[in-house]
Amino acid sequence: MLLTSVIIVLREVLEAALLISILSALSVTYSVRRGWIGWALACGSLSAVGLGLSIDTISGWFDGVGQEVINAFMQFAIYLCMAVLAFLIRAPAANGGRAAPVLPLVMALIVALAVTREGSEVLVYLSGFTADLKQFLVVLLGSAVGAGIGISIGALIYYLLRSMTHKRAQLTSTLLLVLVAAGLSSQAALLLIQADWLPAQLPVWNSSSLISEDSVAGQLLYALVGYEATPTAIQAGFYFGSAVLMLLIGAAAGIHYRRQRPRPRGKADR
Amino acid sequence: MTSAPRLLACCLFLLAASGAAGQARAEKPVVALEIRNHLFWPSELVVPAHTKIKLQVTNNDPTPEEFESYELNREKVIMGKRTAVIFIGPLAPGEYPFFGEFHPRTAQGRVTAR
Repeated sequence: MLLTSVIIVLREVLEAALLISILSALSVTYSVRRGWIGWALACGSLSAVGLGLSIDTISGWFDGVGQEVINAFMQFAIYLCMAVLAFLIRAPAANGGRAAPVLPLVMALIVALAVTREGSEVLVYLSGFTADLKQFLVVLLGSAVGAGIGISIGALIYYLLRSMTHKRAQLTSTLLLVLVAAGLSSQAALLLIQADWLPAQLPVWNSSSLISEDSVAGQLLYALVGYEATPTAIQAGFYFGSAVLMLLIGAAAGIHYRRQRPRPRGKADR
Repeated sequence: MTSAPRLLACCLFLLAASGAAGQARAEKPVVALEIRNHLFWPSELVVPAHTKIKLQVTNNDPTPEEFESYELNREKVIMGKRTAVIFIGPLAPGEYPFFGEFHPRTAQGRVTAR
């Protein structure tokens, strides 16, 4: 019971913690005040409670696949925000270090959505143990341990990114964002396959003998980059398509901002 | 910024298209599965291979359970005293274990595709 709760909560917290650590490292890099994190966590927690309480109703939507559809929609929404982010973070380099004013808002939206999704699942899990106080306390303890480990890993990634040079940190966090976003998009596709909204297929490959999904490495890779041992062609297509799209958006943003660069006035051009 | 509305339009189109595809779906074999005292009944399901199956999971417990299977690539919360629908397959012949994530010690089962 204790170990199960540690693992379940760790899995959920890890996904959100990863996003929070990358985005707060980006905030420091781009001199964005980090007040948005508090707001995002507060709003995310509130809506997690809301979603957790309405899971029962939502499950009945769309002929019983409401859960899948709502979750897929949220995953796509996070992807969309990350695509906007991929565009916006190219701006400061061109504008002499000033971040776009909407940057904290987009970051907050990503974190709030991620916290809503992962938080509601933790709440649903915890709700199953409220009948027996002793059991509930054990599960709560396990959850706290799981959350602690997840947050620690997040902190580790944050400090790793912070310890890098500006250029390397920018490259690493962009790469991580692209992989996380691709993972979210392919998970959303999987949810729509499960709901029978997208066609189901046989897997295109099976790498479970290499890295099994229930191994520690598999779980970690799942949380970090959306690893799937037996993806179908549609899932793989969403994964790589979304990754390429993010990279293209980043490249387009680079060109866009280069064109927009203001002509140097008076003082020497750097 | 111009790419954001375009991307949104693409996503909406994709969702609409997939919704339309869902409308046209054919009837699939329905297989029933029950959860009782954090156990799956029956714990072994035999289904035809290469066929999409509509799995109807009824949770008789008052507490939520999460149907999870790495081999089937499925994951879904089933609230207490509720029935949920999970589409699985088409599957190649073989065995596909599943478990209840909230009670993984007891809630175990497998799908055998023949």
